[in-house]
Amino acid sequence: MVQLGSRLLRGYRGGHVVIRFALGGCTNRPFFRIVAAHSRRARDGKYLEQLGCLDPLPNAHGERVAGLNLERLRHWLGCGAQLSRPAEKLLGLAGFLPLHPMTVTGAERLRRRAQEAAAPPADGPAGPGDAP
Amino acid sequence: MAALGAWGSALVPARLSRVARALWGWRARRGLVQDAGTADEGKATKPSFEDETVQNLLYKMTGLNLQKVFRPVKKELKPPKYKLMTEAQLEEATRKAIEEAKEKLIMPPVLKEREPIDDVLAEDKFLEGTETTKYVFTDLTYSIPHRERFIVVREPNGVLRKATWEERDRMIQIFFPKEGRRVIPPVVFKDEHLGTVFRQDRHEDILNMCIAQFEPDSPDYIRVHHRTYDDIEKHAKYDLLRSTRHFGGMVWYLVNRKKTDGLLIDMIQRDLLDDATSLITLYHMLHPECQSAKEAKERKLQGVDLIKVFVKTESQKEGYIQLALQAYEEAMATSTAS
Repeated sequence: MVQLGSRLLRGYRGGHVVIRFALGGCTNRPFFRIVAAHSRRARDGKYLEQLGCLDPLPNAHGERVAGLNLERLRHWLGCGAQLSRPAEKLLGLAGFLPLHPMTVTGAERLRRRAQEAAAPPADGPAGPGDAP
Repeated sequence: MAALGAWGSALVPARLSRVARALWGWRARRGLVQDAGTADEGKATKPSFEDETVQNLLYKMTGLNLQKVFRPVKKELKPPKYKLMTEAQLEEATRKAIEEAKEKLIMPPVLKEREPIDDVLAEDKFLEGTETTKYVFTDLTYSIPHRERFIVVREPNGVLRKATWEERDRMIQIFFPKEGRRVIPPVVFKDEHLGTVFRQDRHEDILNMCIAQFEPDSPDYIRVHHRTYDDIEKHAKYDLLRSTRHFGGMVWYLVNRKKTDGLLIDMIQRDLLDDATSLITLYHMLHPECQSAKEAKERKLQGVDLIKVFVKTESQKEGYIQLALQAYEEAMATSTAS
């Protein structure tokens, strides 16, 4: 019985509060809970408070549903909690924080790759045709 | 069932204003009652559904049939309880029953259709092509009213906009479920299926379901209510709604559209002359420029004379109403003679 309790009653050295995603759900069916927890805890382990949820799979209306308890989020951020990168990106998309620079960078990279994929096949057939 | 559960916690079963304002009053404070902004011109020119005088008239017409109000609702089966009471205790129990019935008869509000939400918060066009489906973000703060909750949608083309009313209702029902309400409205509310409901004479049930499912200013709520009232008026099934909380809304709808003849005939045939006079008074309040209103004000008519003047000037089915009035007067004469 003490073995069960030891994981829950652990005292850690160092670490800080983070707001991050905890993965739940089943096989091929993820579901994230937005959670304030100690950074040293397991990803799906004991957390301080659940601040919201995110369903990454689109529903019948084609939307990905996310709930955010903004009041408690503001409280934890005021207490000095850090954010994980996916959490920052999600809050940027929501409009609560400014857009994450990596979101912008990712969009640019995607566009550049799409352009390169479109441009060389156009140059390809034209290239050998130009050569004598 | 759900709406009644919330209403059971009302403080004093006052007839209309106090309890009704406690339940629906926050909507007035949030500016939902349409005449809030135009209060001064509104009261002078056109009375609204919420006015004291209008509510009094509608309440009188609704009637108070205890047998119908406390008709057994389908619940789990329990054996009936019998109590032995003195006369005084019986009177006390009847009085309490009447107060509870008054609470059950509080009329749901009649509001105008809500304006569609069309507000863009941010445009980030460079995000186009990164996602394939939209994100809907709901603010889950417990203490804010649902009308003020932030629900925003990030579209795949990068636009961050406020959610439409349908999206709002769906999200709020997902995260803060209300009893009796479904996330996706039941198919029975579509026009083709309402006909089946009306053929089974279940107007009151569908209206109760509608109140539980939709918000009072949503277009679906208004559409279902109007279809129900039209069907009742077409088949003259007014008694189905009498002594329920929907009767006031139906009368308001009919008087606004001047389709009161069937209702008048029904009232006269059931010997409810007081109700008929209140109906005509309400008609005059809402349409003060019509001829019968002016005549009634000049000559200060009461009772049957008021009805006769109204019938001569305003009604379409004059013949039927005259016949009904004649039958009523003969019945009165024979009953007083015998």
